[in-house]
Amino acid sequence: MRSPLARAEGLGSAKGGVKHWWAERVSAVALVPLTVWFLGSVIAHAGGDYDAVITWLKTPLASLAMIVLLLALFHHTALGLQVVIEDYVHSDARFAALIAVRLGCLALASAGIVATLRIVFSP
Amino acid sequence: MIVESSDQVARFTLLKRFPVPRNFKVTPESRIEKGRTWPAPPGASRIKTFEVYRYDPERDGNPRIDTFEVDLDDCGPMVLDALIWIKNKVDSTLAFRRSCREGVCGSCAMTLDGTNWLACTRFISDMSKPATIYPLANLPVIKDLVPDTTHLFAQYEMIEPWLHATTPTPEKERLQSPQERSQVDGYYECILCFCCTSGCPSHWWNGDRFLGPAVLLQSWRWLADSRDEAKEKRLDTLEDPFRLYRCHTILNCTRTCPKGLNPGKAIAEIKKMVVEREG
Ligand code: SF4
Ligand code: SF4
Ligand code: FES
Repeated sequence: MRSPLARAEGLGSAKGGVKHWWAERVSAVALVPLTVWFLGSVIAHAGGDYDAVITWLKTPLASLAMIVLLLALFHHTALGLQVVIEDYVHSDARFAALIAVRLGCLALASAGIVATLRIVFSP
Repeated sequence: MIVESSDQVARFTLLKRFPVPRNFKVTPESRIEKGRTWPAPPGASRIKTFEVYRYDPERDGNPRIDTFEVDLDDCGPMVLDALIWIKNKVDSTLAFRRSCREGVCGSCAMTLDGTNWLACTRFISDMSKPATIYPLANLPVIKDLVPDTTHLFAQYEMIEPWLHATTPTPEKERLQSPQERSQVDGYYECILCFCCTSGCPSHWWNGDRFLGPAVLLQSWRWLADSRDEAKEKRLDTLEDPFRLYRCHTILNCTRTCPKGLNPGKAIAEIKKMVVEREG
């Protein structure tokens, strides 16, 4: 029985969203050079053995870039998947799905960073 | 390719319909059935066939497609002329909106051959064989080609589409330099036909909260107006994950606008202005 205007208003404006949108763009831009660097390095070490890769990853620049890549990648993934869920999931499952995506991405990013640090600090 | 206007010729044409069976996933009461065929009057030589969506919630069961054969020698050049010809000469129960018959009132928007356009500015000769005419998609149908736009106009009302100013009304008009006036070019021309909003996938999935391209273009029209003094309020109304940020720059809106406007660009300008406000 609500009026059309009340229905259009809904719960009003969240007065937010720009941070999410902007973070998505910034992480996307950051991922361009990082992905090129990562793929280039993988190709460069294509024939190399285990030790060669470890030595490369232990160099300060490579380990730093690897951690930044992991942060940007999984942050971007979480933001992007959140948009997909908000677009298409209209049931109560939305809330659960959003939390699962956040935690999943956080877990993957942490796992990657811990692995990188373990390599860096391994003797 | 970035679509900037509906005048642009597409570099390749996509399938008009995804290859899914007709009525796929449609609830039983909305399944479209085959309706009547109305043959051309005897003696007609230049005949064009129109397949027209029909639905009368008070009388019929399901929606149906009626086939009309129109005598082109007896009828004007536009699709709207054909509809008027059908209503006058064949089936007076056919319902559609029209007023200006020259593309300025926005009443006659419908889905012509699968894309949204004004019936009064589309030449019959540009239509496929047979030509198909459906009401605007994603809106409840009141009757035949008349969609219910209540919610869209309520969303429009919500953005308060009029000049907001706190400086006292001057003796004469509020002045604008020619340069300031030019900022609303490409936006003030919108006739609110809702071809764009009806074609926007984000509005299909989240139309209850997402404002859609027409209303966002109108919001930008006021944000871009140098005389308006309510930017803060307007941006606050818009900055919302659903109201504004559901737009994913799919650009169906720009592709279909029968006035050649670019709602996608207007939305990008709003997003830029919100970022600018942040610092
Ligand atoms: S922007 Fe174009 S398609 Fe959309 S309502 Fe305005 S005139 Fe119609
Ligand atoms: S650009 Fe935005 S408003 Fe236009 S059709 Fe795409 S999602 Fe809808
Ligand atoms: S009748 Fe006015 S726009 Fe077509």
